[in-house]
Amino acid sequence: MTDQVQKIVEIADDELVLGWRNSEWTGIAPLLEEDVAFSSIAQNEIGHARALYELAARELGTTADELAFDRQPDEYRCSRLVQLRLVPDWARTIARHCIYERADQARIEALKRSDDAELAGLAAKIDREEAYHRMHAEMWFDRLEDEQRFKAALEELEPLFDVRDEHIPEFAELWEEMTMVRRSVAGATW
Amino acid sequence: MDAREQEFLEYVQGGGQVETDDWMPDEYRARLIKFIEMHGNSELMGVLPEREWILRAPTLQRKLALTAKVQDEVGHSQLIYRVVEDLGKPREQCLDDLISGKSKFHNVFHYPTKTWGDVGLIAWLVDAAAIISQKALLKCSYAPYARIMKKICWEESFHILHGRDVILTMMLGTDQQRELVQEALDRWWGPLMQFHGNPIARDEDPMYVWRIKSQGNEEARQQFLDGYVPQIWELGLTVPDPTLRKRDDGAWEYTEPDWDELKHVVTGHGPKTAERLELRRTTREENAWVRRAVLAEAA
Repeated sequence: MTDQVQKIVEIADDELVLGWRNSEWTGIAPLLEEDVAFSSIAQNEIGHARALYELAARELGTTADELAFDRQPDEYRCSRLVQLRLVPDWARTIARHCIYERADQARIEALKRSDDAELAGLAAKIDREEAYHRMHAEMWFDRLEDEQRFKAALEELEPLFDVRDEHIPEFAELWEEMTMVRRSVAGATW
Repeated sequence: MDAREQEFLEYVQGGGQVETDDWMPDEYRARLIKFIEMHGNSELMGVLPEREWILRAPTLQRKLALTAKVQDEVGHSQLIYRVVEDLGKPREQCLDDLISGKSKFHNVFHYPTKTWGDVGLIAWLVDAAAIISQKALLKCSYAPYARIMKKICWEESFHILHGRDVILTMMLGTDQQRELVQEALDRWWGPLMQFHGNPIARDEDPMYVWRIKSQGNEEARQQFLDGYVPQIWELGLTVPDPTLRKRDDGAWEYTEPDWDELKHVVTGHGPKTAERLELRRTTREENAWVRRAVLAEAA
C-alpha cells in the first residue's frame, strides 16, 4: 500500500467510525436541533468514508465495502479519538468535534494540493461539507469555552488524534457489532 | 355547541382550512395538539429502534441510507413540534410529557428491532402504513400541519423505496436471508394491522368530524392491505394470517387485530417502552446543563 493510499484509508476509517459515534446522538441530543445537526454530520462523514474507500479500493483491487468491513480490527487505521463512545457526555463530544474538525481541516487542505487531480477534486468536495461541520464546532466552542468540564475534555482528548497504532480495548467489540450482519450469512449480498 | 362553533365545524367539514391565528374552538385546538404531538413523539421515538442498526448495516450504501432516514425522521419531529408550539404547547413541555408517559407515541415504536430483516421491514411496511395516514393529512383542516406533511410524505416515500430494496435484496439472496425476512414479517404483522387503530366508524371519530384526518381508520387499513399484500405475496412471503383474503367486492377480510395489545402497548407497556423512555430521560437529565447554557446565551 503506498503512503498516499494508506493516508486515504486512514481518513476513511476515521470518518466511518466517527460517523457512527456522531449518529449515536440521534434521538437523545440535548436539543432537537442537535439531533438533526449530528445526524446530518454523521451522514456526511459516512458519505466521505465511502468516497475515500472507493478511491483506495481502485488502487488496491478491492471494493469500498470490503475495505470498510472485511479487514481485521487491528488493520483499521482510525484514531483513538474517534473510537471513544462519548454518549451521553456532551462536553467531551463537543471537545472531540472541535479537535477532530481542526485536525481534519489540515489534512484535507493537504489533499486538495495533491498532484492526483481526482484526489484533489474529492478533497475539495469533502471540504465544502466539512466547512459546515467546522462552523458548527466553532459555534459550540464559543458557547462552552468557559465551562470547566469542556476545558478538561479538550485537555484530555487533544493528544488522542494522532494515536493510531493501538486501539481502545472496546474497538474489537465495536468491529464485531459493525460487521455482525455482514458476517452472519456467508457469501450473501445485502 | 354554540353558533360560532357550529359555523366553524361546517366550515371545516366543507373543506375549509384554518391558519394559526384564526379563531378555533377549544376542543379543536386541544385535539389538534394531542394528535400532532403524538405524531412528533412518534417521529422522535422512531429513530431509536433504527439508529442502533446504523452501526450494523452491512454495506456502506445501506449505512448511508439508514443514516439519512434517521436524520429525516428527527427532522420531521422538529418540524412537527413547531406546529404544536404555534398551537400553544411549548416543545419542552412536549418532551417532558413524552418522558413522563403523559403523552403517547405510535404502537410500532414500542417493539424491538431484532434483525436486519426487521430493519428492512420497518422501512418498507411500517413507513408504508405511516405514509397512508400522512397522505390523508395533506387535506387536514389545520393548514400549517397539512403544509409540512408535503415535505414529510416526500421524504417518507424514499424510506419505502430503501426498505423495499433491502427486503428485495434479501429475498433474492440465500435461504437464511429469506428466513430473516419471513420471521420479521411474522413479528411485525400484528403491530402493522393494529397501526391504523380500531375500526371506529369515521363519522363517530372526532378526528374525522373536525377533518383533522380525512379518512377513517378502517379505510386506511384497507388501503394498506390493498397496496402491500399483493407485493408481499409477489416476493414469496407468507402473511401470518390464514383468513386474509380479498373479497369479490374488493374489501379485505382478516383476523381481528389484537386491540387489547394495542391499548396495552400505547399506554406505555410495550416490550421496549420503558427502556427507550429511560434512555431519553437519563440523557435529558444528564444534559440539562447544556440547555441552561444555551438559554443563558439567548437571554
